[in-house]
Amino acid sequence: MKTIPDKNILLFKSCLVNVEYPGVESSTKYIFDKMGVEYFIDPNQSCCTGLGHYYDLFDQISTSALSARNFALARKSNHENIVTLCSTCYAIMKKSINLLNSNKKARDEINGILERAGLSHMKYNVGDLDSEKNVFHMVEILYSKVNEIASNIKKDFSNIRIASHHACHYCKVYPEDAITGSRNPMILDEIAAAFGAEVVDWYDFKKATCGAGFSQRFANRDLSLSATADKLMALEGKADLLLHMCPNCQMQLDRYQPVLEKELGRKLNLVHLSVAQMAALGMGADPYKVLGIQTHSVPVEGLLEKIKDI
Amino acid sequence: MLKKGMDHGSKEMVEVIKNDYRASADIGLKRCMQCGLCTSNCPATRHSEYDPREMVKMVLDDNHEILDNPDIWNCFYCYTCQSNCPVNNSPCQVNQILRQKVLLKGGKSQRIYEFLAYGYSYMDFGVGSIPSDFFDELVKDFGEDYLQLKLNLEDIREELGLDDYNLKGNSLNEVKNILIESGFKKKLETFKDAVESKS
Repeated sequence: MKTIPDKNILLFKSCLVNVEYPGVESSTKYIFDKMGVEYFIDPNQSCCTGLGHYYDLFDQISTSALSARNFALARKSNHENIVTLCSTCYAIMKKSINLLNSNKKARDEINGILERAGLSHMKYNVGDLDSEKNVFHMVEILYSKVNEIASNIKKDFSNIRIASHHACHYCKVYPEDAITGSRNPMILDEIAAAFGAEVVDWYDFKKATCGAGFSQRFANRDLSLSATADKLMALEGKADLLLHMCPNCQMQLDRYQPVLEKELGRKLNLVHLSVAQMAALGMGADPYKVLGIQTHSVPVEGLLEKIKDI
Repeated sequence: MLKKGMDHGSKEMVEVIKNDYRASADIGLKRCMQCGLCTSNCPATRHSEYDPREMVKMVLDDNHEILDNPDIWNCFYCYTCQSNCPVNNSPCQVNQILRQKVLLKGGKSQRIYEFLAYGYSYMDFGVGSIPSDFFDELVKDFGEDYLQLKLNLEDIREELGLDDYNLKGNSLNEVKNILIESGFKKKLETFKDAVESKS
């Protein structure tokens, strides 16, 4: 397995975690603090542009020029291991590093922009960062510490059937970099198994998109919800909890599940949590003050009643 | 004899796409053998008329009509096609680049107009936001609880021990200046004027 860092980490803020599931960030902090992972959250870090990039609004140069600024911040604070909470942030960072390292024309253009913006000190030099060695997803840090976390688990997950939704932009954009890639994504399942849960390792549409489709959710609602329904219907009666690793997917499946239940006239009995929220819960975190389940659309309380203390 | 059939015609679109910054340096566009693995796994194909294999075929044929095809706007950008492609092509990237071409020529102006609020939010706060044009629709779908969540967000974040995420002062100016110098701000205004000058 690739080397996963546990220090000099820039915990990269995500726009959808900020406003939809802030508990994903507080849960990650909770776990990192307990595990002694050294990280920094930089108030000067700007958003990755991912949603705007895939709304077709941001061009690659604007996106990567903003990335270059964030990379300069990471290096300045000596936290050059970027750890994201969102799969799109993860892929955007990797793309920007690859472009800056390998495409001289793009690099010159971006450095020219930084210079004209009065940010010459933030210019990018070849090799400043490496897309394989400096960009990680939060799930990878949890995975690298899974045995340690599992030995600190205070909850009994053994009667909970857990399925996983591996975010496309983690598994499919750079599959060679993923711990388990697009062919057979298992990283979330392996973490759930280590916590003693009953793991639903396969279901139809396991590898399929959540259906958000960036602009599709808004511009093409019916198309978007058809794909979301594929996924949710495949899980009907098979799982109690769907584990997430991307706030966009979590939003799509958690917020639209009640909408689809209404449209389809059936109840799905499926709850959504990020893998960070589940791990924090297992380690004893408060569901409201750390997990932030009060921001969810599908109520989590019923599931919590089934998860007893060990 | 040998020369007959060797003129494959113009490959302008292929070269433009391969050289676009959105394309991976090693994109296998020319290697496409029309196997159709992209189409067979595509969620947009499943639920609409979008056909990534056909889109790539038209690009390889330098057929510019693909730019007018409304189905290219159904791609989810999920990269499933790319992850299944045996020759490292990425219909997903090709699609993104085609859409950029359409938008920069002034096409689909109404569609992009609805997403401009994300760009303006980024200029104002250094963070994107869900486009405000769609907020009412989300509240309609997600219910009153969603509106309450948005109204109480700062209190919830405080309870969770999280700091403000909006950029301020120097940082915000840095981001703004980058987006002015990259031409992004101007592009937003062009997209905005294209719709508002008509009304």
